[in-house]
Formats: sequence, C-alpha cells, structure tokens
Amino acid sequence: MSPIHFIEEETLITLLKNKDQRAFNYLYDNYSGALYGLALRIVKSKEYTDEVIQNVFVKIWNNANSYNADKGKLYTWIINITRNTAIDYMRSKGVQNELKNQSLPNFVDVDNKEKHNFTILESVDHIGFKNVLNELKSEWKQLIEMAYFEGYTQQEIAVKLDIPLGTVKTRTRNALIELKEILKEYK
Amino acid sequence: MNIKEYISSGVIEAYVLGLATEEEASILQCIRKNNSEVEQAILDAQLILEDFSTAQAVAPPVELKDAIWSQLNQQPVDTTTDSSFGFDENEKEAKVVPMTKKTTDWKKLAIAASVLFVASFGTTIYFQNKSKENQTELNALVAENKATAQSLDQLKEKWSLLQNPDLKTITLAGVEQHPDLKAHVFWNTKTSEVYLSSENLPKVPDGMQYQLWAIVDGTPVDAGVFDLTDSEGISKMLKIEKAQAFAITLEKAGGNPTPTLTQLYVMGNI
Repeated sequence: MSPIHFIEEETLITLLKNKDQRAFNYLYDNYSGALYGLALRIVKSKEYTDEVIQNVFVKIWNNANSYNADKGKLYTWIINITRNTAIDYMRSKGVQNELKNQSLPNFVDVDNKEKHNFTILESVDHIGFKNVLNELKSEWKQLIEMAYFEGYTQQEIAVKLDIPLGTVKTRTRNALIELKEILKEYK
Repeated sequence: MNIKEYISSGVIEAYVLGLATEEEASILQCIRKNNSEVEQAILDAQLILEDFSTAQAVAPPVELKDAIWSQLNQQPVDTTTDSSFGFDENEKEAKVVPMTKKTTDWKKLAIAASVLFVASFGTTIYFQNKSKENQTELNALVAENKATAQSLDQLKEKWSLLQNPDLKTITLAGVEQHPDLKAHVFWNTKTSEVYLSSENLPKVPDGMQYQLWAIVDGTPVDAGVFDLTDSEGISKMLKIEKAQAFAITLEKAGGNPTPTLTQLYVMGNI
C-alpha cells in the first residue's frame, strides 16, 4: 500500500466505509493535528487528549456509514465528532476527576471552579500553543470559549453572562465573522 | 422574516456550533434544502470552524498513530454492524459451538443446533423489537415534522399577508377591565378583506364566542364570530368596506346582531 498524498473526498469516503488502511492513514496524517488541538483545548490535559483522539478514530471507523455528505464535508463531520467526544469525556470522567482533586471548600464554590478552569486553559496557552481567539475582543473570545470548548447552550450562556438570548445569538455571529477575518492571516 | 434576516439572526452560527435547539435545527434542515443562500451560509460557517481547527493544530505524540491503528485492527471485522448494536454475544455463542470436534457427536450437534436456534430466535426478536421502536420513533418524528411544517405555513401565510402594501394593521388594545389583552386586525382597504390574529385573548366559556365589530360612522357592524387560534394563526373575517374602528366583544355562540357592550374586551381606532 503506497502512501497517498491527495485523495478526492468521494474516494476517501468509499475507502473509509471499506475500512481501508489508506483511509486511516490519510485522515490521520492530514487531520490528527487539528483534531488533537481541538480536543486538547476542551479536555485541557494531554493524557486525556490521547484517549479522546483514540475514541474519535474508533467512532469515525465504526460510523463511517452514517456520514451524510448533505450535511457538510467530511472534515466538518470529524470535527463535530471530536468536539462532542471531548465534551462528553469532560462531563463524565474529566470533570469528576477535577472535582476529586479539589479541596472541599472549592468543591462547593462554583465560581472558584470556573477560575480554576480558566487557569488551566491559560497555562495551555503558555506552553506555546497559539490561541487564535486571543486576537478577538474579550467578550467574543469568552463567548466562543463557552459555546465551542465548554459546551454551554446559548440559554446557559445568556444566564451566566446576564445578557439577553438575542444578544448571545448576534454576538456569536459577529464573533465568527471576525474570526473568519483573523483566520485569513493563518492561511 | 425574509431570508436575509433569517441568515443574520445567528441561527446558522448556533447550528454549526452545535448550539441550536432541535426545533431550530429541524427548521434549518428543511430550509437549507430549498434555499441555496442558506445552504451556502451554512457551508461558509462550517468552513470557518474547519479553518479554526486547522490554525490551532497541535501535533499528537508520535506513538499515538500506531496505537490507534492497532486498536482499529482489533475490532471485529464485521463491516455491516456497529458494535453498539449489542448482539455480538449471540453471534459468538453461535460461532464456536458446532465446529470444534470432527467426530460426529449427534448430541452435541443437537445442542449446537438448539443454541443456534435460540440465538437466531433471540436475534429475530431483538430486531423485531428494534424495528417496532424505530417505527414508533419514525411516527413521532413524522408527527413532529407535520406540526413544524404547519406552523411554518401559518407563519408564511401571515408574513405574506403583512407584506401587502394595501394592508392596514390595527392593534386592538384591552379596555379598562382587561388592560393586558390585545389582538390585531389586518384590513385590506382595497379588497375589504379582514383578518384577525387573536394574540392573547383568554379562552371563552362553553356556549360563548368572540365577535368582531367594525365601527362604521358610529354604528357597530358585525364582522363575524371567531374561535381562538394559536399565536401564529389568523382567522379570515367578514368583508368590511368602511370603518373607523374595530372592537371585539364576547357574545353567545353564533354571535348577536348588536354588541353586548358590557362584554367589550379590546378596541382600536384606525
């Protein structure tokens, strides 16, 4: 099996559905970095991230038949799988561990737990991973972090930030439009 | 709401971020199929998130690739089923029994055959149940879809009505005894057609109905009785050529020739 450097999306999907190793190699070589970066920002520990990415590839492998090209590209599909797997992971195992490691007073103090979360995220930034969101206005950055990496619903965000639901929606839209501009510099 | 407003409402961004409610998502799925602008907006938004992930890539540890591949290889080779279906155990049982011994042992074969029978019987029952479940789920979804389509149709109807330049919207506000109530009359001054949206009028007692009146040169003219619609719906009333005001009273079912003024609920001048 010779390595392939470029496959048409349709061919890739067929190979994937047939569980062909070339599909795995292609997906892994091209997308594992992006998926790893995404999962790392959600679960915030490399150890957890390894496990999440394993689960992600198992899901891609087993559920290739349920991929529907009408709903988006394959890349979007695997990004969504990664995000959901990582958020679920945090909700079950990750969050529980985090709570266990905390002293009792922190355990009951919700605000403190939040600060704790943010410090870890900050430190991920400090080890040298670029955070594109740093280039956004802080209110937009916060919104994307809560919505995309922390898995809050828009309703929950509205309550937490004490702003109307409509504002959450328009602000999210504006944040994404600005993000699009910023991302042009990364291409 | 027109399509531009719909696109800029933020619902597409919510959808691609996985934040849209089920209702929002199913409406969006329906619209994207019929509207290329919406479809394009969704693809554009998805592309932003793809680029976002690409820009923030972090190299995984080198050994991870082999670890994952060997895990994928250990999975059952069966390509047609998802392991989460949960009937693997039946299959294993069925596979091991008959092949182990070469000498014909009828007793064992009989056992094997019955195990196979039980296993396949179990699987059949399992699939029958599963298919029943699916059917129920499907029925529920179809019903839900119908309801959504219906309220969408009602909204569309109301919307196209509102866009007519000949249409006057008259807000009927609650009178003294009912300050919080309101209703809307949409009056086409060219065709004399009158539509009513009952907004938040309360339910009526049995045997009673609301009646709409047009006040024409000081005299109330019957514009028809109506039952409450849901918040999205509108009722078509009798044609009115000329009026200075509209009012709604509560009357006996079928209506009265003249309004019972003590039962006046809402009223609005033109």
